[in-house]
Amino acid sequence: MQRVIERILNLLAFLLTVDRPVTASEIRNTVAGYDRDSDAAFHRTFERDKALLRDLGIPIEREATDVFEVEFGYAVDGDRYSLTDPGLSDDERVALALAVQAVGLGGRSYGEEALMKLGGVAANSAGTQLGADLGDQAESVADTFEAISERRILSFEYRGTQRRVRPYGLVHRRGRWYLVARETGRDSVKVFRLDRASAIVQEPGDGAFTRPVDFNPADWVVREPWEAGDQSVTATVLFDPDVAWIARRELGSRAKVTTDPDGSMLAEVEIASPDAFIGWLIGFEDRAEIITPEDLRSRLVALVEGP
Amino acid sequence: MTNSPRTAGRINRVLAMLPWVIANPGAHVDEVCRRFGYTHAELAKDLNTVFVCGLPGYGPGDLMDATIDDDEVTVEMADYFSRPLRLTAAEMLGLLASAKGVQSAGLGGESLDRAIRKLEETLIPGGEDSVVVDMPEPPLADVLRTAAVDGVVVRIDHTSIASGKNTIRDIEPWSVFTTLGNWYVSGYCRRVGSERVFRIDRIRTATPTGEQFTPEETGRRATLRYMPGDDDVHATIRLGATAQWVAEYYPVEVVSRRSAGLTIRMAASDPLVIARLLLRLGSDATLVEGAEVGSALDDLRSRILVRYSHTA
Repeated sequence: MQRVIERILNLLAFLLTVDRPVTASEIRNTVAGYDRDSDAAFHRTFERDKALLRDLGIPIEREATDVFEVEFGYAVDGDRYSLTDPGLSDDERVALALAVQAVGLGGRSYGEEALMKLGGVAANSAGTQLGADLGDQAESVADTFEAISERRILSFEYRGTQRRVRPYGLVHRRGRWYLVARETGRDSVKVFRLDRASAIVQEPGDGAFTRPVDFNPADWVVREPWEAGDQSVTATVLFDPDVAWIARRELGSRAKVTTDPDGSMLAEVEIASPDAFIGWLIGFEDRAEIITPEDLRSRLVALVEGP
Repeated sequence: MTNSPRTAGRINRVLAMLPWVIANPGAHVDEVCRRFGYTHAELAKDLNTVFVCGLPGYGPGDLMDATIDDDEVTVEMADYFSRPLRLTAAEMLGLLASAKGVQSAGLGGESLDRAIRKLEETLIPGGEDSVVVDMPEPPLADVLRTAAVDGVVVRIDHTSIASGKNTIRDIEPWSVFTTLGNWYVSGYCRRVGSERVFRIDRIRTATPTGEQFTPEETGRRATLRYMPGDDDVHATIRLGATAQWVAEYYPVEVVSRRSAGLTIRMAASDPLVIARLLLRLGSDATLVEGAEVGSALDDLRSRILVRYSHTA
């Protein structure tokens, strides 16, 4: 491993100082560590080293060495190589280090590597008691994020259909990652569950679109299943005292509630999907009752009566 | 053959450490180690590597100069490595999503808010709020977390999701965590005499009793998964076209796959769990086998219908 690391550092030092595209054969004859290989071994080694550096985020481009475009070489774009320093203060670094320890993305903590590139954290940060996992699709989430930040068109397979979208944002809610995007050639914004998307590919070309001003991806992803739908129903539901606290927590602040002296609770809820709402209410068994509207009430009764 | 992830990790760390050391010549070796997660020996090894690398010619004037002298770290002749490397998409996202998760849970602070603003402005200019992480902490999580840190027994009033039954239990809380959209507390339950995981949204009250317990070694966490038990009930169910998601969502065994539908077998600690699911699915699911679930379903139907038998 020692020799590999020396060779790769020498290669990168050369590419960063040479200021012009250099051919593979020039690299082979100039950079220490490549000289003793056979032709085939050199090409294998060189491809591996390039791939490693690219994975670390180093922009190695293939460019013509002169205007006639006969010969091609490799160059590192200095501007794209460097970090734009966000100028974090020490207390901000500590706060980020704690966050990175507390919240994982499928077991790997890319955040720690990011913090090192930002200069590391000087203070010892003791672990927090929060352990959160944002799911194990780190790779597709990162690809999608890259497309969003570079404004590239994204294509993927979703429920058996091929999609091409302008990715606007990523939302993690109710334990899942959602992509909020506009399909190319269509006028409507759509929400995709990322765990159902496969073969995610970023199309070449940065800045392929602009996101509408004041667009907030969070507005597009519903909080509760019954908020996703095209209907508009206001339901009032009576919850018995022993389950009222559960209902109150799950409904959150979006429902209007009044509590009786006996502890039972009347809640007024806006519903976009009646079936999803009834499905949720079944969880309360006979300790909750739809009071109005009458047709929602009959719909639940019909479901319970069965065929 | 590819280069190993360990090689990539080492190079990444060297390329992160060099710009900082170049910008802070003479920094104390302890600080360099702390910032970049090195032991002294690892740092010395990487600096020795740097010392034999440099530009073509590879003579004394071409190689980088890296020394630890009197506990002070200095790297010279390495201007080309003085700029920090940009973050990869995975690194940016890892940092931003973690920060936003903690902020959303209400556990951040002013420093974290500022850090998030700075990161968004530099990393995704014009696309602030492109990443939203929503995981608000439920009530009582703070009480349970504090008790876990302090090693204090907590009395909880807990409603089982499966049976709907209420129990009062004394638990020795170990940790509070969230995964797949739910929040949990793990710990030793004195009522059953073994480790348990409870969903925090089903804990109605949590009161520290004041009694201390000896915390287990750190990092211990009860596993969160469905564990089959001897008392489990089983049912065989045929799922229609619109109910196929059940097979993906719950841990089930697929018995057969035909054009008429998918037949699955599932287990639960209480027949009511499966009965409620069947009721929700309506005509999209049929109970093929499972007498206990069948009678729980009949009972559930009649209880709800009694409730609805009067005119509202």
